[in-house]
Amino acid sequence: MSDTTMPIEVVSAERHVLSGEITEIYARGIEGEIGILPGHQPALIALDIGPVRVTMADGSKEKIAVHRGVLFVGDDGKVIVLADIAELADDIDVARAERRQRVLEERLASKRNTALVESLRKQKLRVDTGQGL
Amino acid sequence: MAGSGQIRQLKRRIRSVQGTAKITRAMEMIAASRIMKAQGRVRAARPYAEQIHDVIKGLAVSNEVRAHPLLRIREVERVAVVVNTSDQGLAGAYNANVLKVAERTIREEEAAGRTVDLYLVGRKGSGYFDYRGRRPKQAWEGVSDTPSFEDAQEIAEAVTSRFIPAEIDRVWLVYTDFKSSLTQTPTRMELLPVKPEEFEGGDEISPEFLFEPSQAQLLDRLIPQYVEAKVFHGLLESAASEHANRQRAMKAATDNAKDVAENLSRIMNQARQDQITSEISEIVGGAEALND
Repeated sequence: MSDTTMPIEVVSAERHVLSGEITEIYARGIEGEIGILPGHQPALIALDIGPVRVTMADGSKEKIAVHRGVLFVGDDGKVIVLADIAELADDIDVARAERRQRVLEERLASKRNTALVESLRKQKLRVDTGQGL
Repeated sequence: MAGSGQIRQLKRRIRSVQGTAKITRAMEMIAASRIMKAQGRVRAARPYAEQIHDVIKGLAVSNEVRAHPLLRIREVERVAVVVNTSDQGLAGAYNANVLKVAERTIREEEAAGRTVDLYLVGRKGSGYFDYRGRRPKQAWEGVSDTPSFEDAQEIAEAVTSRFIPAEIDRVWLVYTDFKSSLTQTPTRMELLPVKPEEFEGGDEISPEFLFEPSQAQLLDRLIPQYVEAKVFHGLLESAASEHANRQRAMKAATDNAKDVAENLSRIMNQARQDQITSEISEIVGGAEALND
């Protein structure tokens, strides 16, 4: 482990999304925004539905839409993001997410329920992340 | 002439059998390519399940997991059986085998005086139980071919949401385990309650760890995810097994069609020989009659 970078792995339930060396990571925990730099104390943090932003060692930035995940910083400084669904911004089909967002909004207009609100948040996140917001 | 009519008929049958062989051969190759893909998905899903498991094991060292609603053991009165079958047929004994295990589970539970609720994945399972007059509590179609994690979540949610308020006391997951492309074994696994032994043997997490929210709340979030990952695993294994079975069934069909075509062309050749022989003897006979 070097002092300026830390290894990361992003794993979704369906596949391995990203691995490499990063210099920083920002995510939305359920108790608030968090940022992690190399040398952080070990941690286990539950993530909200939200974007995870990482800066790779070469300076490029990646944005990942994460639904219901945990962020794990190990003793050795390794960062693991485990999430039901994690998608890189480039992999998101924005048009499809927008379509599903509209469908959900229509359904919500007629009937409120928490599962629908949750799904809608997911699609919104997809659209925003996919568009690079 | 009767002979030529027979030959024409045989020709037609051979062509039709060869046509069938072409179709089954194509299906065989499609299935073969999908086994690879399905196997890849099983592999790709493994790190997630393992990591979740590791984290829970770590947390379980210093936290009481037995109290979690999904681990609660109680007197069993009502049982749910989740059965993974395919939507499409032409997969050999795939569905019959997994349904046999499901049927056995149901019989055992009912013999012990428990009520069984069915949760069916795949059209074949629905058809089977529908014919026998059993109505499933819930059924899914269009999932088994290429299951997504969201499908698994939906299925897991359907049973956990009834397990927690004690509407059901045990959940069986019946699926087909993909051992290799040659062996697939129908299996059943007790999905709920989750056994506390599954979370034993973790490495203790060092005290300097930062938890957000508390460890107990993290466990509350992770254990359902663990159950979902198990359901997902069952779906993926079943999908790979389905394709493997279909590939084998279609290979057998192709081989069989080739045999049939070969036999038919032997019969046809013989008929043609007979026809020629009789034509020659007629000509010879006619010539001899003129000579006399």
